[in-house]
Amino acid sequence: MLSLTTERPASAGRGTTTKTKPWSSTLSLRTALLMVAPLGVAIALFVIYPLIKLFWDSVTLGAGPGNYVAALSSGAIRRAIGTTLLDSAVVMALAVVGGTALAWTLRTTRQGWVKALVWAAVLLPFWMGVVVKNYAFALLLAREGPINSLLLQVGLIQEPLELMYTQTAVVLGMTYTMLPYAFLAVFPSVSMVNLELLNAARGMGASELRTFGGVVLPLIRPGLIAGCAIVFAMSIGFYVTPVLLGGAQTPFIATVISDDIFRFFDYPRAAASSVILLVIALTTLAVTIKAVGLRAVRGGLG
Amino acid sequence: MTATTGASKLLDALARLVGRTVVVAFLGFMVLPAVFIGVLSFSNDPYIMFPPQSWGTDRYVEVVTSSTWIRPITLSLEVAAATAVVTLAVVVPAMFALKRGRVPGTMAVESAGIAPMLFPVAAYAVGMYAVFAEFGLLGTFAGIVVAHTVHAVPLVIILLSTAMDQIRPELELAAMTMGASRLRAWAGITVRLLLPAILAAAIFAFVLSFDEAVFITFLGGPGLVTLPKYIFDSVQFGVDPAITAVATLLMVVTAGLMLGATVLRGRSR
Repeated sequence: MLSLTTERPASAGRGTTTKTKPWSSTLSLRTALLMVAPLGVAIALFVIYPLIKLFWDSVTLGAGPGNYVAALSSGAIRRAIGTTLLDSAVVMALAVVGGTALAWTLRTTRQGWVKALVWAAVLLPFWMGVVVKNYAFALLLAREGPINSLLLQVGLIQEPLELMYTQTAVVLGMTYTMLPYAFLAVFPSVSMVNLELLNAARGMGASELRTFGGVVLPLIRPGLIAGCAIVFAMSIGFYVTPVLLGGAQTPFIATVISDDIFRFFDYPRAAASSVILLVIALTTLAVTIKAVGLRAVRGGLG
Repeated sequence: MTATTGASKLLDALARLVGRTVVVAFLGFMVLPAVFIGVLSFSNDPYIMFPPQSWGTDRYVEVVTSSTWIRPITLSLEVAAATAVVTLAVVVPAMFALKRGRVPGTMAVESAGIAPMLFPVAAYAVGMYAVFAEFGLLGTFAGIVVAHTVHAVPLVIILLSTAMDQIRPELELAAMTMGASRLRAWAGITVRLLLPAILAAAIFAFVLSFDEAVFITFLGGPGLVTLPKYIFDSVQFGVDPAITAVATLLMVVTAGLMLGATVLRGRSR
């Protein structure tokens, strides 16, 4: 709104000096640039500059490039990197399988209530909010929580299981958050699949497995790959879930970074760890965009 | 021959059964935690018990009456409202210029605006922490609004960009050939057609900010405690059962807002 009004004096001023200026259907470059300026400045200051500063600080402050040596030679950080990558890979697999299963159900079902249920399942994590989701899992997985009491009553276990503060808890909580993103990435390609092709494959004698593997999977491959990349890149930066459900026992890179800043006041090492995290995420995304194109990746975001 | 078709039929049935089980398992996995929180919120037990021993609305009464919850909720509402306004003020003019002008590097601006969505949040928060320390924004209201705006910009760009692609510039041109100024053509035609999408974008920006928990932890300092930060802290240091009531209220309100935004977004198509 703001820059709409700033345009008026500019054009009025021009009108008085050159009255015979030909009418043009495109916006003048100057006005356009003025209107983009606030967004441009915001991006420069708070998207690009933080990345540059992070990298610059990581190689100039503290031990200089030695920050990376310090980060990578610390057993705790190496273990955190391992945990983060492994758990994120598991989350990626679970979220993409689940997201695809739900997207495929939505594509093939004719029942209205099933469609509504699938949409509810996919949207609930957004409605619950970041912290509440993890709180729900903390309650479900607690020692006296419903999962343990159910297993005890059925007689599958004699002692309550320690489910909280484990990698399982973190993976479950993160999958809950990431499954909707996988669904959104896969759904555009799933909804393009022509169901007649399935009948054709079945009619020619293909088994269910063969139909899905030979017809459906190749068609939805770009969506699957985009989903994997989006889930993995976002998962490795997770902070809330590892802290609440993993605790001190299963630190993620994010946990170690925040400890470095707020507990050990070792900002340079935190910057080095952050750069490592960013490089992994951006490499994943760059490779994926190269493989399936920007459209497939962007399609999964909105 | 009959043996193989029999076996393959059995295999088909098995594949279908496994597929169905996977779908049901994932549906349950996604739906049950929300139901569980909702059920627990209507219990009057002094601490969380499952199954609940008593029923009632004590937890809701506590949330509404005790001041401990009101303060973080108020701060969150203020930050979210400011974020929605600032985000629109920054993105809407830029989208008009990018879509209607010939700005060099349009794709680059859009991509750079969307990029933060894909940054690992913890690493990005450290970068923001360094920049905020330099600019003196740590622990300030303005700083949090800036951080949340950057957090909301990607989705708002995506929403408005797709919405604007559906509005034909010929409509504006027609108005301008008939003597309307560009400003009038925009305000009278494009903004009016875009209004549902703009409202939807405002709602999404509001919800994203209201729900944000990582930037506030890194950048908010001890003084600024929004609702997600408050819940985050109380879950870490012992569990207040009233959280179940807050969580249920949040779920219902957010669901309503987001469904409303989705309907609005659909209307602008």
